[in-house]
Amino acid sequence: MPLDLHKRILLDGAMGTMLQSSGLRPGENAEVWNLTQPERIERVHRAYLAAGSQVIYANTFGANRLKLKKTGHTPDEIIAAGLRAARHALQGTGALAALDVGPLGALLEPLGTLTFEEAYDLFAEMMVSGQRHGADLIVIETMTDLYEAKAALLAAKENTALPVFVTMSFDANGRTFTGCTAASMARVLEGLGADAVGVNCSLGPREMLPVIREIRRHTRLPLIAKPNAGLPDPVDGRYSLSAADFAADMEKIAGEGVTILGGCCGTDPDYIRALSGLSPAAPAPDAFRPCSFLCTPTVPLPIDRVRVIGERINPTGKKRFQQALLENDLDYIVDTAIQQMDAGAEILDVNVGYPGVEEKTMLPRVVKALQAAVDIPLQLDSADPEALEAGLRVYNGKASVNSVNGDPQVLGRILPLVKKYGAAVVGLTLDEAGLPDTAQRRLAIARRILDSALALGIPREDVWIDCLTLTVSAQQEQAAETLKAVETVSRQWGLQTVLGVSNISFGLPNRSLVTRAFLAQALRCGLTLPIVNPAETMDMIAACRVLGNEDEQSRRYVARFAALPEKTAAPGSRLTLEEAVQRGFRAEAGALAREALKEQDEMELVECRLIPALDQVGADYERGAVFLPQLLSAAQAAQAVFEVIRASLLQKGRHAVSKGTVLIATVQGDIHDIGKNIVKTVLENYGYTVIDLGKDVKPEIITRRAAETGASLVGLSALMTTTLPAMEDTVRQLKALPHPPRIMVGGAVVTSAYAEKIGADFYARDARAAVEAARQVFG
Amino acid sequence: MTDFLLEEALRYLGAARADEATRRAVAETAQTLRGTISPRFVYRVFDLEKKGGAPFLPDAGLTLPGKLARRMLEGCGKAALLICTLGAGFDARMRHMQARDMAGAVILDACGSAWVEAGCREAEKAIAARHPGWFLTDRFSPGYGDLPLTLQPDWLRILDAEKRLGVQAAESCQLIPAKTVTAVIGLSRQPQPARIRGCAYCALKNTCTARERGICRAT
Repeated sequence: MPLDLHKRILLDGAMGTMLQSSGLRPGENAEVWNLTQPERIERVHRAYLAAGSQVIYANTFGANRLKLKKTGHTPDEIIAAGLRAARHALQGTGALAALDVGPLGALLEPLGTLTFEEAYDLFAEMMVSGQRHGADLIVIETMTDLYEAKAALLAAKENTALPVFVTMSFDANGRTFTGCTAASMARVLEGLGADAVGVNCSLGPREMLPVIREIRRHTRLPLIAKPNAGLPDPVDGRYSLSAADFAADMEKIAGEGVTILGGCCGTDPDYIRALSGLSPAAPAPDAFRPCSFLCTPTVPLPIDRVRVIGERINPTGKKRFQQALLENDLDYIVDTAIQQMDAGAEILDVNVGYPGVEEKTMLPRVVKALQAAVDIPLQLDSADPEALEAGLRVYNGKASVNSVNGDPQVLGRILPLVKKYGAAVVGLTLDEAGLPDTAQRRLAIARRILDSALALGIPREDVWIDCLTLTVSAQQEQAAETLKAVETVSRQWGLQTVLGVSNISFGLPNRSLVTRAFLAQALRCGLTLPIVNPAETMDMIAACRVLGNEDEQSRRYVARFAALPEKTAAPGSRLTLEEAVQRGFRAEAGALAREALKEQDEMELVECRLIPALDQVGADYERGAVFLPQLLSAAQAAQAVFEVIRASLLQKGRHAVSKGTVLIATVQGDIHDIGKNIVKTVLENYGYTVIDLGKDVKPEIITRRAAETGASLVGLSALMTTTLPAMEDTVRQLKALPHPPRIMVGGAVVTSAYAEKIGADFYARDARAAVEAARQVFG
Repeated sequence: MTDFLLEEALRYLGAARADEATRRAVAETAQTLRGTISPRFVYRVFDLEKKGGAPFLPDAGLTLPGKLARRMLEGCGKAALLICTLGAGFDARMRHMQARDMAGAVILDACGSAWVEAGCREAEKAIAARHPGWFLTDRFSPGYGDLPLTLQPDWLRILDAEKRLGVQAAESCQLIPAKTVTAVIGLSRQPQPARIRGCAYCALKNTCTARERGICRAT
């Protein structure tokens, strides 16, 4: 990089508004002007260079394949022309030309339907062109989704050798439109190797100041500010700040240590000229505080006190979990996550290693499913580097890796991944020689792990040490050694410590007691990251937080034990199973089912009690006596009963009997899916197996999956008139199968006449009608 | 004072006459929503002309085809284009809630619809406040009556909604985030007698169950 990013650098101002004033019509694609009006593009660049810009952004903001689709031009053509104009303009000035990369214009999963991998490919195409056509650097800007920014940054780093700036757009509340915090943004982008980070667009400089301050606290990187010229007037769209006012506010931003300055919407060369009059950059006090940290975009989690890592997403010794993995039942895994969060976990350990499961495909799949459904940082737990890389790649935020150990081969395989993806890492104090038997040996291995990580450029605060819990019933003297090592690493070295606590009590009666006693001792020694079953240990941790003077005035402890249990029947009331289901009491329904199984077998319970109870609710719903939320509460209570039945059957070595398999999907183009999900909930609780293909599903995929699974019934949902053709097409393709399934259709715009016209077998106006269709098909 | 958010959400749920427990659940969700997510809107007011008989906004480069727009904007000198959204945070909350509790998700969905409607009403007030001496017509939206749904991308482009609100349109013209409303409101020097309420204009008139359940406000 020929520029020193720690000294003042002036960027340019707005391109779009400049082009509009030179004749770009509303709706016209600005990037196509690189080809058709290159002299006008050059003129804008020249005006900024004359005003003092040292870096100009080529007119390539929207030059991605998606946004250019309607223009008939390729990204490479547009980027070549855009950089040609920029390079031409800056000849002899010593300024640099940046490839400008904006959002793709389609939202990524889970908000939209574009996959992370597709986004990466679209960005990679731009990055390769940018480098080939002479960009000096890459700027990724106006991002509001950290996941999209990650895809772009990875694409830049993996396909070019150019420096990369990343700026995101924040709201005055300190978050982006997708809820991303400044802290998460700064930590994640620094971890992924950005050269400078900051904020552009959406705010004026004054509103941007608090966001910039927050970013400073979370990164060592040089900072960028490219705000709008104030806020636009809603009536006429004019921006509020003059060039002089803009510069005056920018002086304050520069005072925060921001070295790279420019303007966004509403600014023109006068604004940049005004910036060149600012007093020279003064070194700002260093606000960055190293701190161990994990996050999702919306949940920043500094490890500044004890943070509980939930251990339950792990198949070891759990039959039901193993079955879920083998059947690709992600809903069950998500449920396990929710239960742990509700019990108090703040990080979830995710381990999906099991014979018959391909970890490198399952881990990223589970990471995506979890991140769509819960908002909590994850710790990826695997010994397989390929699985870890696949998981880290698609993880949105900053994750930790569990684990490396002192074996040089393991360190060599896994630490580079930790560095590349900006993760934290758990260093387990064992090595190729086996288990250490003293605190001293544990510390020696920990030192080796720390040194290897530091040598790769992994920050010290991202190295967490697990001093190895051994089973006390087998090696009784080891518990004290573990604790001694924890104390040294925590108190003397100042590193975070992790312990798989539950291991301590293996083989003893009343395990939970021993586990909790060990946990209390370990916390006293400075343990910050216990890996535990939160349902068993959170009370103990709450008490330790009081004793450790961490829970001020015991407020959280008091709140914890004053809290009322949610949605349960009044104490002392004696419900029947049917009543519990109908009134939506999940816990009671489960308990009553367990009791009922003492006298009835599983199938009898389902057929003679559960289904009639659900039918009663359904009939009440149809005559308007109960409403959709109650219908669904009943379905969920029924689900609790089914879980009991499934567990009971598994214990007897049998699998749950399904009443039939239904494949459901929202058709291509349709991205809202609550209706389909309602149908899924209700069908499942009538005992049908539902394979949910999700939303925006191509006809070919629905057809292929119908053939593969042999589902006898396929349910399709469409919400908009614009997506009805996709429904029709899907029906046509399904009917062409050698053994076509029966088809039911539904959704806001679907009518029974339409269903008939396109050849569907059933019109399901609501979830109840879907159950009726299933009954007709499966008997 | 009646709670607009609560009553409107109950109406969307078809549960206007709901039992106490349902009302309480909806009220709790509405309260949380009110405290954590604010509807956001952007609008711009354009001069309105006619082009071939159809309302035309020259500065936006937008023609509003169809009978509905012609009738509703008759006699208007200006028109406001509006987008109001609950943002992606609401979609995330819906996803989380669906994983946890479908019954709760259905309630949240209804509260979200009511809350974005409340945001549209705030926007109307803001527009009216900036235009003393003008009368606002009823608000109507692409996809309603014969105003084409395919105008959604134009709305987004004209109001720069991707940058300013984080709103995008899928190819099917569905808007993301889910609780997003685009609308046009005419401004006239005389009160506008035309109204849009009524099932005849509603795109869902053939499949809607609200009317037969007696919960549609339009009838």
